[in-house]
Amino acid sequence: MAQEQATANSPTHDQAPSLLQINGLVQRFGGLTAVDGVDLDIRKGQIYSVIGPNGAGKTTVFNVITGIYKPSAGQILFDGTQVAGMKPDQIVRRGITRTFQNIRLFNNMTVLENVLVGQHTRLPGDVVSALFRLPNYRRAERRAEQRAIELLGFFGQGMIERKDEYAANLSYAERRRVEIARALGSSPKLMLLDEPTAGMNDAETADAVQYIQRLRREFNLTILLIEHKLQVTMGISDRIAVLDYGKKIAEGVPAEIQRNERVIEAYLGRKAAVE
Amino acid sequence: MATQTPSKAASSWTAGIRRGTDGIRRWLNETMLAGRPLIWYVTGWRFAVIALVVAILLPLVPTSAYSDIQSLLVAMISVFVYIMLALGLNIVVGYAGLLDLGYVAFFVIGSYTMAAGTYGSINDFAGKLHDLPTLPFILLIPIGAFIAGIFGILLGAPTLRLRGDYLAIVTLGFGEIVPVVFANIPIFFGQTGISATQPAPITTPVGIISFTDPFNHAPFYYLALAVAVLVTLGCYALRSSSIGRAWVAIREDETAAEASGVNLTRTKLLAFALGAFVGGIGGVINTAAFPSITPLGFSFAISITVLIMVVLGGIGSIPGVIIGALVLRLFDVFLLQRINDPVHQSFLVAPVNAPLHVLANVDFNTLKLLIYGIVLVAMILLRPQGLIPDARRRRELKGVGAAPEGVSAVGAFEQEEAGMSAATTADVLDPSEYTGAGSDAQGREG
Repeated sequence: MAQEQATANSPTHDQAPSLLQINGLVQRFGGLTAVDGVDLDIRKGQIYSVIGPNGAGKTTVFNVITGIYKPSAGQILFDGTQVAGMKPDQIVRRGITRTFQNIRLFNNMTVLENVLVGQHTRLPGDVVSALFRLPNYRRAERRAEQRAIELLGFFGQGMIERKDEYAANLSYAERRRVEIARALGSSPKLMLLDEPTAGMNDAETADAVQYIQRLRREFNLTILLIEHKLQVTMGISDRIAVLDYGKKIAEGVPAEIQRNERVIEAYLGRKAAVE
Repeated sequence: MATQTPSKAASSWTAGIRRGTDGIRRWLNETMLAGRPLIWYVTGWRFAVIALVVAILLPLVPTSAYSDIQSLLVAMISVFVYIMLALGLNIVVGYAGLLDLGYVAFFVIGSYTMAAGTYGSINDFAGKLHDLPTLPFILLIPIGAFIAGIFGILLGAPTLRLRGDYLAIVTLGFGEIVPVVFANIPIFFGQTGISATQPAPITTPVGIISFTDPFNHAPFYYLALAVAVLVTLGCYALRSSSIGRAWVAIREDETAAEASGVNLTRTKLLAFALGAFVGGIGGVINTAAFPSITPLGFSFAISITVLIMVVLGGIGSIPGVIIGALVLRLFDVFLLQRINDPVHQSFLVAPVNAPLHVLANVDFNTLKLLIYGIVLVAMILLRPQGLIPDARRRRELKGVGAAPEGVSAVGAFEQEEAGMSAATTADVLDPSEYTGAGSDAQGREG
């Protein structure tokens, strides 16, 4: 119900300028083509979902966008610049950030330290100011700490109170939140969320849906989402692309996707589609 | 990982040692000094203050020229050098998690910088001698450090894609190559080695301070202490900086670190460079104190010894690494000889100890590496987190969420400290965590 409201309130941003444009993306691993000529066009301010059966190549697309893999072919234009082939940290600097399907926190660092690592690109990294704790360095560290606490505060006072806890001691839902807080640290324009509600119960999922919408609103973010739970994607997405065997088989607003025969076939099999 | 938990098979003799440490802990808890249990004094920053005061006061103990105090001062100069080396290696191994088995390479480079910078002449490749300007010692410290740092980057760069065993093997190769290069190029007189000129005396308002007086080692002692303290402070500053966090982040999860904006290449090279930088400082100081060097004197054993210091003290923990270096180096250059002689001269010749007479011809000095090896194995079995573990590393090895309560007094102090240093020194003597050790493996997976 919160979902319906959000869809009703927010325009689909179809007329907004392009933020991430992917043209003819191909990713091969040896003989396997995991992503086969995918085109995506994500507009500023959209919540754009990528769905598809297991092994369809969704996470691979994320890994290519964030620089973990170099694409075998194709273009990735972010804000007009080609980012394909850049290193992950350069891509983070340009404003793309992500979370992982199987949450990857620094378990033996505290929550606060985790979020501070997320701000790494915004902190002075030279040895001299770190060694001598020069005034501008100390100011930057203090600001970073304040900001880390603000980012944790996005998820409520409870997360702020957990700031000195080791990441490994957190509950599953809390770990998701810290990962998002860490991802926010680089002041991104685009956030890639890889199955943010995986392993969550209904209440936690509803909560996650709410904060994804708040993320867009409060941080001016564009969100690219991989999600398996169809009630989540259908509810919050402005646009959805469906991947199957590395190819984009459909794209459109949620209502179109729900009716699309190829999508039903990919998810439920040919027989279901015919019936 | 090699640092697995003790198995049941080893439990009988390990239990004995645990009872021993338990006893020490109880003793520290129960022995009162000025109204506080002794353990209060060896916890956190108090320990650092006390250690520093003791180190400063040590040369002031009234002494005659040939007393043990003077040879202790000489030994301590070497201890300070090894503290620097251990802290430097700790940056690479402890923070960034890059196993470097060739750390001696940077010690060699620092040493040769000091020697070449003060010797006054070098050979060319044809064996002809050329004059070389000499530089003041104080300038050679940063120069040696920078040259070593540059070599740290040069040696680090090809290893960036390697991890674990492969990285260890390549760095081990570098550690072997560097001394061999010095042995085989004639510039620095090859295998013959080279002698540094020791630092010149300095004139101060209170008089002339000589660094070479064989009857007074205090000036050099203080110099080495000062440099060691500076290196320690530098390590603390780095650890809590964004660079330090990036090091720990790549140790924990390279992919997540990159995705958070950490530049892997830069961060790893920085660890290699700064580790080497500190190793270079150690080399310069060491050669200033003990000026004759030969390339083959820098063996793999030095790399391993420094690594053992880091592991013994607690990987990643600055106080731990300092204690590790202190214990091992003092044992090596001071205690071993003083144990060896009485054992041979009285203990072994006593008729009661007849079964041990086979040891009469064994010089314990030659068993040093064997003893280190035993210490290392015992540490990994009994206390993989080191004597004074780093809070993070301790968690890693103990497993998630299994934070056993110490005996009351220890627990209270840990809470009182509440910071990174909280669970450091008190923990040395806390055996309770062994009991939870069995759950380690599950904890890490969970």
